Amino acid sequence: MADENISNLLVVILDANPVWWGRIVSEGNQQQQISLTHCVDSLMVFCNAHLMMKHDNCLSFIVSHTSTSKFVFPQEDSASGVGENGQKDLPSDGKYEGFADVNDAIITELKNLLSAEDSKADDHSSEVPPTLLASALTMALCYIHRAERECPVGQKLKSRILVLKAAPDVSTQYMPIMNCIFAAQKSNTVIDACVLDEHSGFLQQAADITGGMYLKVPQTLALLQYLLWVFLPEPPVREQLILPSSMHIDYRAACFCHRRLVDIGFVCSVCLSIYCQFLPLCLTCQTRFKLPALPLARPKKKKKENTAPGK
Amino acid sequence: MEPFTPVLPTKIYNDSNVPPGTFSVLNLPNANISLAQIEVAMMLETYHYDTLFDYHGKLSNLQHLKQEVIQEDAEGSLQTVVDEFSHRTKRRRLMGRSGNIRLGMMRHLFVVVDMSRAMEEADLKPSRLACSVKLLENFITEYFDQNPISQIGLIVTKNKRAEKLTELSGNPQLHISTLQKAASKQCQGEPSLQNAMDTAVQSLRHMPGHASREILILFGSLTSCDPGDILETVQTLQQQNIRCSIIGLAAEVRICKTLCSETQGSYGVILDERHYRELLMQHVTPPVAKADTEAALIRMGFPQHLSSGPPSLCMCHLDSGGVKGLSTSGYFCPQCKSKYCDLPVECKVCGLTLVSAPHLARSYQHLFPLTQFTETDLSTIEDGHSIRPQNHCFACQVVFTEQMAYSCSQCGQLFCMDCDIFIHDSLHSCPGCTASPQGEG
Ligand SMILES: [Zn+2]
Ligand SMILES: [Zn+2]
Ligand SMILES: [Zn+2]
Ligand SMILES: [Zn+2]
Ligand SMILES: [Zn+2]
Ligand SMILES: [Zn+2]
Repeated sequence: MADENISNLLVVILDANPVWWGRIVSEGNQQQQISLTHCVDSLMVFCNAHLMMKHDNCLSFIVSHTSTSKFVFPQEDSASGVGENGQKDLPSDGKYEGFADVNDAIITELKNLLSAEDSKADDHSSEVPPTLLASALTMALCYIHRAERECPVGQKLKSRILVLKAAPDVSTQYMPIMNCIFAAQKSNTVIDACVLDEHSGFLQQAADITGGMYLKVPQTLALLQYLLWVFLPEPPVREQLILPSSMHIDYRAACFCHRRLVDIGFVCSVCLSIYCQFLPLCLTCQTRFKLPALPLARPKKKKKENTAPGK
Repeated sequence: MEPFTPVLPTKIYNDSNVPPGTFSVLNLPNANISLAQIEVAMMLETYHYDTLFDYHGKLSNLQHLKQEVIQEDAEGSLQTVVDEFSHRTKRRRLMGRSGNIRLGMMRHLFVVVDMSRAMEEADLKPSRLACSVKLLENFITEYFDQNPISQIGLIVTKNKRAEKLTELSGNPQLHISTLQKAASKQCQGEPSLQNAMDTAVQSLRHMPGHASREILILFGSLTSCDPGDILETVQTLQQQNIRCSIIGLAAEVRICKTLCSETQGSYGVILDERHYRELLMQHVTPPVAKADTEAALIRMGFPQHLSSGPPSLCMCHLDSGGVKGLSTSGYFCPQCKSKYCDLPVECKVCGLTLVSAPHLARSYQHLFPLTQFTETDLSTIEDGHSIRPQNHCFACQVVFTEQMAYSCSQCGQLFCMDCDIFIHDSLHSCPGCTASPQGEG
């Protein structure tokens, strides 16, 4: 089905926001909501499935947390290069060692990360602290950039990122996330998004701009089904499938003055700040604007450039 | 269309450039049209007088200049010199960007391509022209990538004339296809710098004052065949606030150098194809706006993307005919509801500039540039701190093999050189800084 010299690199970003996952447990409706353990299990099956699709498929796994983002697989200190699983002791239960490596690494690292966080967990606010999605995305893109550089001649590497998002968006991350989206688009990296809770405007745009899939999982307990059916197929294969279509995407901009979404706005020619009404002074860059031309005045020839001498 | 009828030269418009009580074309309604007409008439007139400029006499030892720049190193390998050179330019390009400077976000750029016989030479493979066209295609894509609400126009010059290929527009496909078509024709005669610049000026002078006006000339010839005094054109450029830059493909030409420095442009002569690319790509980054560029608030529309609904025709594919533009999805102008396949575009119906918020966000990288990383010697860190030093790149996890790493002054994380360049070239966000909860990259 696919070319022999194309290997697929999948970077999974898991949002392990402890407050968000903790809240799910404390709310106690585990009949309808997925738990972190269940979610990680589903992801591991999904990762193994990805590795199984082709022998030279590669995987990377990043856990995004509220205080840091961490590469969980491949391990940073193991000498192995990209896509090459290091030689380790054979697992006892006869599992394929490639899978065991991945699963062990994910579980150990996740445990470390969450328990380290427990010690200094202090709930002084009821708000869910933001997950550092932007940093996870920057790391993923740098890693992909490196993988493409190290890719042997004659081989082609197709990379994509899957974000499993739980906690809601935070507006302070708008700029870095937009930067990531454009960098991804430039390097032909697809960003897929699987959202568990609230809709994420950031990821909707990410998926739309990079040509990925965006899906808000209707039933989180069935996460594995959605992962396998929607996100396992590589983008070229998806064209043959009937997948949930993206609804309309809101490309409206929020004005800088009231944070209101506007259809038609005024944009500063110097810094591109957006305002919902005409202002004499740009609030961002302090530039003074000349007054707008009166709508009735004919194309006025008042331009000062017309000083051209009559030659 | 209404014919142009000159009205009595009363000063109807209060133009500060015209002293009271004097007659000037500027007093007329439609002053721009009359000015343009006069200019065309005068240009046509002077053209046949053939007061042609020839720089041949002044260019005796030009080939030496070029030779001087390319010195062979000890082993006689040119590659290393060139390598170092382009690496230095790359870093300089990155360095030059930092700081909070005012940028001309809305750029209006005319690219002038020399299509004189000099462009047939094969010192660039396969020929100067083919190589230029290939690089230019890249340039155009990259330009719109980084200057989402800017415009480009193309001009070619050959046979002592200049011809406008495309008007200023924001559609990269149009420029690229027109350029390819034009490049398939023959290179002929001599180029004319003056005619090319005059052609560009005629379009640029009508652009709003808040936009930056630029001309970029890819110049293969060593001579230019001009109908008048080129210094007069330089003056016009200065008055019109037009920045003119030239990339020379052969050797340094004095008049080009003057031209660029007088109009605050840049002048470079290429060493090889790679250097050519570097020089060209420098023009992708918006130049710092001249102080007297007017600022303005521009009305823009942010259309929504709708993907379901009855199939409808778009405005952008009307010309191409057929059912190509018939689809269920598209962007709808918030003012007149006409449909477009792609953004940014100027609404053909109501004239509103349509952009998407992400398009604007793409330009913010120039306003809030990422600070440069500092080169750090890994061994010195080891001495300074008792903690185990970071032995891998924070971003891509590669284990450092070289002595040097690059550290971010904000968050102190270490990065490898490839990540340093990647982060500053395309990512524009520091992975370390975004990893702190209050970090905004
Ligand atoms: Zn507002
Ligand atoms: Zn401003
Ligand atoms: Zn169309
Ligand atoms: Zn419209
Ligand atoms: Zn790195
Ligand atoms: Zn940093």
